[in-house]
Amino acid sequence: MNLGISAIEYIHGIKNGTITAEEFVAKTIEHIKKVEPKLHAFLSLNDNAIQDARNIDKKIKSGQKIGALYGMPVSIKDNICIKGGKTTCASKMLENYTAPYTATVVSKLQEQDATIIGKTNLDEFAMGVATEFSAFGPSKNPWNTDYVPGGSSGGSAVSVAGLESILSLGSDTGGSVRNPASFCSIVGLKPTYGLVSRYGLVSYANSIEQIGPMGRRVEDVALLLNCIAGKDIHDPTTIDNKSQDYLSGIDAGISGKKIGIIKEMSSGAGLDKTVESVFRNSVSSFEKLGAKIDEVSLDMVEYTVATYYVLTTAEAGSNLSRYDNLRYGYDLDAEGYEYKSYISKARRNFGPEVTRRMILGGFVPSAGFAGRYLLKALKVKSKLKKQIQEAFSKFDYIISPTVPVLPFKFGEKIDDPLAMYLADINTVTANLTGIPAISIPYEIRNGLPVGIQIHANSLQEKSLLQAAYALQSTTKLPEVPL
Amino acid sequence: MVSKEDIEHVAKLMRIDIDDSNEYFERVQKVLSYFDILDKANIEGEDIPVQQVMIDDLREDKYEKFNDSLIQQLKNYRGSYVKAPKMN
Repeated sequence: MNLGISAIEYIHGIKNGTITAEEFVAKTIEHIKKVEPKLHAFLSLNDNAIQDARNIDKKIKSGQKIGALYGMPVSIKDNICIKGGKTTCASKMLENYTAPYTATVVSKLQEQDATIIGKTNLDEFAMGVATEFSAFGPSKNPWNTDYVPGGSSGGSAVSVAGLESILSLGSDTGGSVRNPASFCSIVGLKPTYGLVSRYGLVSYANSIEQIGPMGRRVEDVALLLNCIAGKDIHDPTTIDNKSQDYLSGIDAGISGKKIGIIKEMSSGAGLDKTVESVFRNSVSSFEKLGAKIDEVSLDMVEYTVATYYVLTTAEAGSNLSRYDNLRYGYDLDAEGYEYKSYISKARRNFGPEVTRRMILGGFVPSAGFAGRYLLKALKVKSKLKKQIQEAFSKFDYIISPTVPVLPFKFGEKIDDPLAMYLADINTVTANLTGIPAISIPYEIRNGLPVGIQIHANSLQEKSLLQAAYALQSTTKLPEVPL
Repeated sequence: MVSKEDIEHVAKLMRIDIDDSNEYFERVQKVLSYFDILDKANIEGEDIPVQQVMIDDLREDKYEKFNDSLIQQLKNYRGSYVKAPKMN
C-alpha cells in the first residue's frame, strides 16, 4: 500500500474498494512507529485511531451518509484542543493539561469523518521557526535529518512530508504553516484572517493568527479548507464564506492573470542565491502558464519583521499571563508561598524563547515605550495594508520565495534570535494585512526543498488555489528519502 | 538605549524569574535595538488601525453554567474555588 497517495487518490481508493480506512490507518501507524524515532513529528498519538477508522468503514459499508474525508488520517498541531486529550503547546507548563473542549476545526473534521491520527510537535507556544524550542525535543526534516523542518508547525509538516499523515492542521501567526511547508516540500496555506475559526486554538497573537491546512498536493489543501472554513458562533471574527467550494474548478489555469513580483522579498542581501535561482525558475513557469509578470514595490516590507515582533510580543505577553499555575500549570501547592513569588516560580516552566518574548511583550506596550514601539508598529501595519490594496488594484497575485533562506542545520540560529526572526521577512506581510498566502514546493536543490509563495487579496482563496495548482503542474519533485 | 535595570524591572512586573539576567539582557536588548528600525519608516499621517466587531456578531450575554471539567483538572481547588497563595 502506498502511503504517499494524495487525499483525492485516497478517496478514489475507498470508493473503488481498493483500500479501506482501517487498512490505511493501520499501515500509517505501522509506518509512524518505524520512522518516529528518526523524525519526531508527533507529541502524542490517538490510541483509538484504528477503531475510529473501522467505525467509518462500517458507515461506508452500510451505505450511510459519509463525510468528505472518508476516514483518512489527519494530524493536528498540539496547540489545537481535542476534548479529553492532552494539548501541551510543546511546553512544560502544559505538559499535563487535558483540553476540556474540542476546537471548532477538529469538530468539523470529525463531522467529515477524518481519522485524527495524533498531535504534532511545534515550537513552544508556536514561537519559533525550527521546532528547536519544543520542550520535548525538535522534529527532524525528512529530506535531511541534520536540518530543521521549519516552524512553528514543524511537526505537522514533517508528519505530511514523512507520509505519517495525508493532511495536517497547523497554525500561522507569522509564517508558521508556510515556513515548515517550504522547508519540508509540502503545500501550506495561511487563510484570510477570519476564514477559519480560532475557537480552541491556544492564543499567541489573536489579531493576526489563523489555523491553516497542510498537505502534499494543492488539491488536498483545497479539500481540507472546504472542511474547516466558515462562520463559527464561538469566534466572532469569523466570516461567512457561503460554503464556497475551493476544490471545484481548481484546474482553471492562470492564463491572462497578472502577477507582481514583490521586489523587497525577491532580491537583496538577505536572499540566498539558491533560493533566488529557484524563484527565477518559478517566474519562468508562471510566464509559460500564460500569466503576465511585472514587479511591484512594497516599501513597508523592510519594517515588517520589527512590526510583527512588536505586535505579537505585546499580544503574547498578555496571553501568556494566564499561565500562573492556578488555572493552568503543574502541581505546586499554594501553601507557604506568597502570590508573586508563586507565579514567578511557575513561570520558570517557560522555555527561553517564550520568556524572552514575554519580557519583550512587557516592554513594547509599556507607558514609557509604547510611542517608540507599539504605536509605530500599528502605523506601519496601516500603511502596509494600503500598499497591499494598491498592489491588488494592479495584480491578481503577488509572489515571492516563501523563505529567503534554505533549511538550516540544528543549532545554527538558535543563539541568535534576530537571525531567526529575519527568516520571517517574506511571510509576516500576509498576517499583518490579513490576506491569504500559500507555499508550494517547487524544487529540491542539493537535497533541500525550496517553496514559492503566492498571495491573493482577502477571501480570494479559490483563485489563489487555482494559481497554486497551476504552478504545481509545472513541477516534478523527487520522492522523500525515508 | 534600554538599560539592564529596565529589562530586570519589566521581567519583575511580568512575574518572571530569570536565572541568568545577562543572557536575557543581551538578547532582549539586541532585539529592542533592531526595533529602532521603525524610526526610519515614513508613517506620517497614518492612523492606528482598529478592528471592528459588530455587537450583533457577539454571542448572547447570558449566564452559562461553569464547565466542571475545567476545574477538575486543577490541582489546588476546593468546591468550585481555586486555592491561591496569600496576597500581600
